Amino acid sequence: MIKVENLKKEFTYYKKMTGIKGSLQNMFHRESLTKEAVRDISFSVEKGEMIGFLGPNGAGKTTTLKMLSGILYPTGGKVEVDGFIPWERKNGFKRRISIVMGQKNQLWWDLPASDSFYLNKCIYGVDDGSYRDIITELSEMLDVKELLNVQVRRLSLGERMKMEILAALIHRPDILFLDEPTIGLDILSQKKIREFLKIYNEQWKTTVIITSHYMADIEALCDRAVIINQGQLVYDGKLADMNQLLGKRKLLSVKTTGAVDIKAWKAFGMVREVSAAGAVLEVPQEKVQEVLGAILSGLQVEDFTVTEIPIEECIARFYQKEVVMS
Amino acid sequence: MKKIGRYVKLMGVFAKYSLMSALEYRINFVTGVSVEMGWMIIKLLYVAIIYKAGTNIGILTPDHILLFVGTYMLMTGVYMLYFGNFASLPGMVQQGELDLYIVKPVSLQFLVTMRRLDFAYLLPELAAGVVMIVAGWHLAELPVGVASIAGFLFFLVCGCLLTYSLFLLPYILSFWIISIGGIADISNALWDFNNMPSMIYGKWFRRIGTYILPVFVITNFPGLFLMGELSTWACAWGAGAPVLFFVLSRTLWKFSLKKYSSASS
Repeated sequence: MIKVENLKKEFTYYKKMTGIKGSLQNMFHRESLTKEAVRDISFSVEKGEMIGFLGPNGAGKTTTLKMLSGILYPTGGKVEVDGFIPWERKNGFKRRISIVMGQKNQLWWDLPASDSFYLNKCIYGVDDGSYRDIITELSEMLDVKELLNVQVRRLSLGERMKMEILAALIHRPDILFLDEPTIGLDILSQKKIREFLKIYNEQWKTTVIITSHYMADIEALCDRAVIINQGQLVYDGKLADMNQLLGKRKLLSVKTTGAVDIKAWKAFGMVREVSAAGAVLEVPQEKVQEVLGAILSGLQVEDFTVTEIPIEECIARFYQKEVVMS
Repeated sequence: MKKIGRYVKLMGVFAKYSLMSALEYRINFVTGVSVEMGWMIIKLLYVAIIYKAGTNIGILTPDHILLFVGTYMLMTGVYMLYFGNFASLPGMVQQGELDLYIVKPVSLQFLVTMRRLDFAYLLPELAAGVVMIVAGWHLAELPVGVASIAGFLFFLVCGCLLTYSLFLLPYILSFWIISIGGIADISNALWDFNNMPSMIYGKWFRRIGTYILPVFVITNFPGLFLMGELSTWACAWGAGAPVLFFVLSRTLWKFSLKKYSSASS
């Protein structure tokens, strides 16, 4: 469905000196600089797949999404989306895709969202029957049926984002790009949008690429993550497999009946947290049993749990480039 | 044909939504109409002074001048109908607001330049323009045959297309240099050269304004046609210039769009 090969994007800008002196110098001479926002990225997405596109701020996620949706021309590389080259901007391509950006809106501010939906109906040439069906179905799923005739400016941020998503789906796109769709929303709205996207993707087999800084979004929606950092791809695989790349380590949380000295904990493994009530240790997966046996025989243990390293932490390590894809 | 029908329908939706949006803020709408009427009265004063003085400009009597100024008013109303879209283009380029328009399966130029229509400007100028044209036409005893009316309307339509194409050009530069306030001011000043018939200007100035930067074609050609003062060559230029400049603006738009670099999200 989507094939990306060695995609590159460079932006040129000029060096700005600070202060008024710098501004005056810039009037006569500007030093041109180039920023490589995206560097040789390659990946592919199958039809109906929903992938999380992750990376720290400025990693090149949005720039990549903009190239995949035809908004930006790349500096180099190839992209094929459902047989189309996005930046040729053919109408056939535009009818197959949709993009929602958490920071930008397409709805008419002073009019009810239903008016903007009607405009999209006219733009995409959706027939009356399909239009009615989709509005009824999606507004019920998103729980906004009662708000369709309220001016957009009177809606809360969460309600507005639901309407933005609805507006983007009027033409039933095959591919949906979501750039931070839950940014700034309260937990309930985030959850509702997540649930909606999950059901929508399952029901309509729409291919979805989503960027988000909320790990809950990614964990709830995607099996696979593509992580980029400083414009380069650092991980492409299952979310569940990330831990493997971090050396198959586990977290061992132990509660003790009395306080234990940190030196004693250090003898069992890498200490992450320590308190009067216990400690959290990081140990290699194959040593969990051995370490646990030693703790149980040497200390007064009240309770213990063994867990995976949280995905958020795994991703943070990729962001810091502690790990590169094998 | 189907494509044209779709664009006409979209234009209708834009007009309806723009009017609905404007009417959400009633006081602002009424104020807009009032301010425009104030400007119009100032322009009418020029005509009143010419009438009082009984001055002719070349072959133009005050009745002809009334017709020319009426045409200028009408065209100003039509230009102001969509001018806000031109004015907002540099901001959209700077803020990366074209992103969600680029992905729509209709002409981006059409969407960006026609999506907001300002009726507060159009209505007073249109009403006054039509009255002045009809009055000037009648008082100057110009021909009222089918050919004259059709020709006059044809050059009005050509003028509308030329206005759109010619005055969009400086705003397209915003894809390259982002901030174009100074250039936009010059183009707005060019428009105001039309508030009197081009005959008040010198020969060379008139030639430049007719054949190089053809602003005079927009408001002078309909009246000159009625008076039988347009040569065959001038008629051809009056019909050809809008097409030429439309192609030019379209080509420059497409070429410049490649420069669009969006903005930080």
